[in-house]
Amino acid sequence: MSTAAVERNWIATRDEPVLVTGAGGFIGTRVVHTLLEYGFRHIRCFVRPSSNLTRLREVLTVDGGRAAVEIVEGNLLKKEDCARAAAGITVMFHLAAGVDKSYAGCFMNSVLATRNLLDAAVAANTLRRFVNTSSFAVYSNYQMTRGALLDESTPVETEPNRRHDPYGYGKLKQDKLVEQYHQRYGVRYVILRPGSVYGPGKPALTGRIGIDTFGVFLHMGGSNRIPLTYVDNCAEAVVLAGLVEGVDGQIFNVVDDNPPTSRRFLRMYKRRTGGFWSIPIPYRLAYLLSAVWEDYSERSQGQLPPVFNRRRCSAEWKGNRYSNEKLKRLLGWTPRVPFDQASRLYLDSLQGRS
Amino acid sequence: MSRLRVAIVGCGKIADQHVWAIKRTGLGDVVGACDAELLMAEQLAERSLAAHIAADLGQLIADARPDVVHITTPPQSHFALAMQCLEAGCHVYVEKPFTLNTEEALRLVRTAQAKELKVTAGHNLQYTWESMEARKLVQDGFLGGPPVYVESYYTYNLGDAGYAKALLGDKSHWVRRLPGKLLHNIISHGIARIAEYMDTDAPIVSAYGYASPLLSRIGESDVTDELRVQIADGRNMTASFVFSSQLAPPMNGCRVYGPKNSLIIDNVHHTIVRSAPKGYKSYLNYFIPPVATAREYVRNARRNVGRFLRADFHDDSGLKNLTEAFYRSVLGEAPLPISYREILLTSRLMDEIFRQLSPNATHTPRSVLERTSA
Repeated sequence: MSTAAVERNWIATRDEPVLVTGAGGFIGTRVVHTLLEYGFRHIRCFVRPSSNLTRLREVLTVDGGRAAVEIVEGNLLKKEDCARAAAGITVMFHLAAGVDKSYAGCFMNSVLATRNLLDAAVAANTLRRFVNTSSFAVYSNYQMTRGALLDESTPVETEPNRRHDPYGYGKLKQDKLVEQYHQRYGVRYVILRPGSVYGPGKPALTGRIGIDTFGVFLHMGGSNRIPLTYVDNCAEAVVLAGLVEGVDGQIFNVVDDNPPTSRRFLRMYKRRTGGFWSIPIPYRLAYLLSAVWEDYSERSQGQLPPVFNRRRCSAEWKGNRYSNEKLKRLLGWTPRVPFDQASRLYLDSLQGRS
Repeated sequence: MSRLRVAIVGCGKIADQHVWAIKRTGLGDVVGACDAELLMAEQLAERSLAAHIAADLGQLIADARPDVVHITTPPQSHFALAMQCLEAGCHVYVEKPFTLNTEEALRLVRTAQAKELKVTAGHNLQYTWESMEARKLVQDGFLGGPPVYVESYYTYNLGDAGYAKALLGDKSHWVRRLPGKLLHNIISHGIARIAEYMDTDAPIVSAYGYASPLLSRIGESDVTDELRVQIADGRNMTASFVFSSQLAPPMNGCRVYGPKNSLIIDNVHHTIVRSAPKGYKSYLNYFIPPVATAREYVRNARRNVGRFLRADFHDDSGLKNLTEAFYRSVLGEAPLPISYREILLTSRLMDEIFRQLSPNATHTPRSVLERTSA
């Protein structure tokens, strides 16, 4: 999209300071890249002290090093670090994610980190918008039919415990917290829910295609459309969600045009990585096995944790249609990298991997 | 039999395991969750169906009226919180490491005794199935006398440099502020195994530690992740302890040697091998004992499969078994699962190890070359 065309509708000028949390991460790096491309000159990148900043430093050369990019190391679980991050910021792009196997770990890194950041923003009193990066993982398609449209009006998961998805649980609570801060303190926000983000730097296939938990790749996705979004496309959606006026309080799903079927994507992936065996598992069989696993887990009081269960099976492998209509309509977003090119870039990055 | 009312203080990652273990005992109900971060208490209470939450322990005790409190906070707060619980009349399960030092441990034990309350330390690896079988065998005289030598080992893989860096990247992390830093939070399981079989208040200890090449490479040479310890009771029992972040495959267990027989306890694979040599003649000595050892492993495999089929082989069975044993003690049905002598000896051994590893230690091992040239 032409940045000049939409600049008039932005809520921040290119000279005003913006914050990117998780700036050293997979999406965060590309968000910084997009902001630099858009001409932003005061970008504060918040990173963990242990982050590998190689990719971020590469990105910082995109405008010839003209922008004043500040790299702030810190921990969002520390209020003083959040205060440093939030000082004077007009738009916050909150991408730092809590990935952990435990509920407490995900909750802490998602909710407490976001709470600290929002507290700092409220205290700084300069924030115009908080862009909260959520996930498709918060939706529940449990009551939906196969192939039904999953969009922003789809209900969120009401029984995250039964789904046994600590990440989704953390994101659900994080979204709720942001809405609470809007109600209590008037924090203006936008929530972004990307589908499966892929691109160079993230070699693993999404679990929506299949799993290799048992030593062989089980292809669960069949002919389902996978809600893929290429990392650069997703990053641009994040940036636009922070800048375009008139969208406060909105939720946007992020998925590229014409996502491929799971079967097609897996075939492309195999061709490029040298091939490996996979066993196709039809959805009904996957659901049956998940149900058996879930029931056994309950009967045995968690001897096998309920990592496979009806709700997760439904969320990942039932198969839905997806829409980016709202994203296009309200933010003027279009996927800047079409699937053919995006998949080529992604698969090229896998060259040599098995 | 009335069920115990249980509260949890510290709602981080380990608290979830406690909730599941408590439920599986069938002896208690989680009625309260407390965390300095009220949001953390809320999330645990929501998932464990605990009725009461608080950011302040006094408030939680007043509201939830627990019989038992599990303390799962960072170790720096164990003593103060446990003392508060005891003063309020609650029995206490304290996650490992029990306290920061022996002085704190001793004060907790004395307070519990004075108030006729129970306290235990979260040395749950002593309550895995194989550790419990070992205990019974030793009590039944399998070793042919008191243990003569215990060899305890514990490995902890820090993984690649990225993981170690993330773990240790936070210079103000609470682990760094422990007297024994990383070791302090990890080695109590391995030391407690020795304390179980060694009966002395004045152990002789020699410890040597250093930073692995991995940690040195990422600039963490002041953190010890390789430890070798020799321990003696001054009479006829000695022990050794190895902690390593490098050894593979992962090892976690101990060997207990007696005057006649010995035991090999493997907490990674949940096996216990009884070694009772029969003294076969000539070449038979090379043929029959290996078969006997193989039979031991088959026995273990059958037992593990059997337990799994009976849905009694959970990953954290040690935590559940220890919790159950503690609750039975609280209910007056059984003695303490871990004696105060063991808890205090574990603490003394750790104090001495960390003292010897500290940069100010008066005794530091020297190389032979250095000693010769001196």
